[in-house]
Amino acid sequence: MTLTDKELDLAPAVRDFGEENDLDLSWLETRGEWGVKAEPEKGGLKLSDIQLGTYGEPGDHSDNMTGRPRGSLARPDAYRIGGYQVRTKSDIWLTNASMLYEEALQRQWSSATDIPWDTIKPLPDDIERAQCQLATFLTEVEFVAAEVPGRWLASTTPDYFEPRMFLVSQVMDESRHLDVFRKRAFANGGGLMQRPNVTTSGTVGSIDLSADFTEMSSRLHISGEGAVLTIFRMGEMMAYNEAEKRIYRLAAQDESRHVAFGVMHMRYLSETEPERKEEIHSYLDEGEVALVAGNQNPASRDTAQSEALAILLGGGEKNFDEGYRKLMAIRKRQAREYIQRVKSAGFGERFLNGRANTELLKYAS
Amino acid sequence: MTIDKSDRSEKLERTRRRVENRRRDAIAKRVAEDEDLEIPSASLEWMKRTLQWGVKADVTESGLKLDALNIGIYGEIPDKWEDQSRMPRGAYPMPGVPPIGYGIREKRDLWADNAADLYEEAIQRRWAPATDIQWDSIEPLNDDVEASVCQLCTMLCQHANTEIETLGSWLHQMSYGYHEVKLFLASEMYDAARHYEVFRKRALSNGGGLGIELRGDVKRMILESRGGWSETALLLYILRGIFTLTIYRYGEMFAHNTAERTIFAGAIQDKARHLSYGFEHLRYAVVHQEDKALVFKNLLGIGERIFLREISQPVVLEPLAVIFGGGVEGAPEGMKTVHEMMRKFVQHYLSALSWIGIDRSDSLASGLSAYISEK
Repeated sequence: MTLTDKELDLAPAVRDFGEENDLDLSWLETRGEWGVKAEPEKGGLKLSDIQLGTYGEPGDHSDNMTGRPRGSLARPDAYRIGGYQVRTKSDIWLTNASMLYEEALQRQWSSATDIPWDTIKPLPDDIERAQCQLATFLTEVEFVAAEVPGRWLASTTPDYFEPRMFLVSQVMDESRHLDVFRKRAFANGGGLMQRPNVTTSGTVGSIDLSADFTEMSSRLHISGEGAVLTIFRMGEMMAYNEAEKRIYRLAAQDESRHVAFGVMHMRYLSETEPERKEEIHSYLDEGEVALVAGNQNPASRDTAQSEALAILLGGGEKNFDEGYRKLMAIRKRQAREYIQRVKSAGFGERFLNGRANTELLKYAS
Repeated sequence: MTIDKSDRSEKLERTRRRVENRRRDAIAKRVAEDEDLEIPSASLEWMKRTLQWGVKADVTESGLKLDALNIGIYGEIPDKWEDQSRMPRGAYPMPGVPPIGYGIREKRDLWADNAADLYEEAIQRRWAPATDIQWDSIEPLNDDVEASVCQLCTMLCQHANTEIETLGSWLHQMSYGYHEVKLFLASEMYDAARHYEVFRKRALSNGGGLGIELRGDVKRMILESRGGWSETALLLYILRGIFTLTIYRYGEMFAHNTAERTIFAGAIQDKARHLSYGFEHLRYAVVHQEDKALVFKNLLGIGERIFLREISQPVVLEPLAVIFGGGVEGAPEGMKTVHEMMRKFVQHYLSALSWIGIDRSDSLASGLSAYISEK
């Protein structure tokens, strides 16, 4: 709706009153749809409750370059300052972003006060070092999932504010993950250890350099966070106290929301723009190579963090072999969960037509 | 029948344990199946790689806070962060990691000593618009008042949106060595999203609807500021931020119901935190760079004129006059309250600048000085 579409219809008495008192008041009659009344339901007044009339679901393409809230009245003299790159709905949309955002708000937690830090007691040196090595790795990689979505927020039209809001909640979640793993490293007489000796980003085919939102999301949400989610879910097996168990449990809860965002977005895209599927498969090809090679996968082989995991899973350096076996079992689970996610997102054909990474399939078999 | 809370959590705990046992069993089964697995010998070189070992942060009554981690070398925050990757501060560096290219690498360009504490505060004081606002306390208002509230909400949504987009475009440029600031700004972005949400919800919850958008003078000035984060922060926190906070305060004073009062109270708390970082950082920037105060002073000379251009549009201050006056008829009287509000804004603006180390009392734009010279 634009200003010129709508006749100014200020009551003459109001207009006269305004003139007498040096008030314009024309804004009283220039507005978006009037008469909207959202009703709070069980769970309060949610974003989905205010999707009414013209404030409801946005169109397939957005011409909003000024940053106006969806459904407000556009003015012809507003500056086109948005410069929004993402203005096509299928580029970022999913059906349940509002719900995921509301859930994120309800399930926020504090690393300072919700973790029973006093349950951490001195551990054998090899175990403590392994915990600290894993914490160092996670402190580094978890914030990738905050920085990168942050950048996309500024380049997405606010007409698609629901996925944007979810991404802001993800930025917050990942900040907490950086902070909680840093805290774990300093909570028990340890310290930070070796940072990953492979890059966490900055090269072609990486999360950072993705020029398309779905490309980024396929790497960040489906491959990267998906792999970390499997590890967090196994937290009980590598935790040595209630504090560590709680950290992994809460982080897994957050991470599963992020992965759900990625799956639902890819499903929306595959359903609304099937002509883009081949392109998305190309991103998945690259993502699977990374998943197997393991730039951001703590369970990948022969890295400091995989050795640390084997020590934690085995119960010490002396049980490295046993821990390594468990790690490989977890890696199989990772591969299976990945395949399930990709199928659910609507790209399962790659596992039937020979396109999927063979090493990954070997893990899953 | 009511379900006892402890019963429910016990049940949840039992379910959780069951799921975990199942996962554990599945892994054990896989391990047993894979007897022929070739196990590489562990190098374990990483076990010696730490710059400082033996660190134990204090857990206090308020938990384990971010600031408590700044012990030994981990608390050394360098003036320049040379590393161009995501290496955590204090981690053992490894050679050959390709750079990402962080533009902001000097402490003076983003630092504030209070960032870590503000981040923890943001987490402790979180609230949810869906469930923490008493939406059923909102009763029908006269159309002119409702339209004014909705127009105000439309404007405040835009203020919040500007904050989200601004922070989103700067956060990834800030070096990892200053993670306290990055974490705080992430929490600020999250607060801003909540403000966007809550003002949209208010506009659509009482028979009204959104109003007309702003032309975007101040937003344009903030988003197009490219000189550095400090320059953007000056405009975001000092000109726009103090103005938004002042409106929130008056919004709370003139709230029509508990819901509005709670909304503004929450927003005030958040915004005060944002400004606290902004002021602290700007003071740090001024203290650590010789001509920064003059740069800021000159920028504000331009910024004030743009700010005045924005507020001269009737859509900015007139809705407030209608709200303060209780309707269109009371708007002339309400405009006196608007002037009082603007006087407080200018006073806050000048005192914040003075604290930061900038004196604009002799060069304040006449449109603003008029508010404090008026009787």
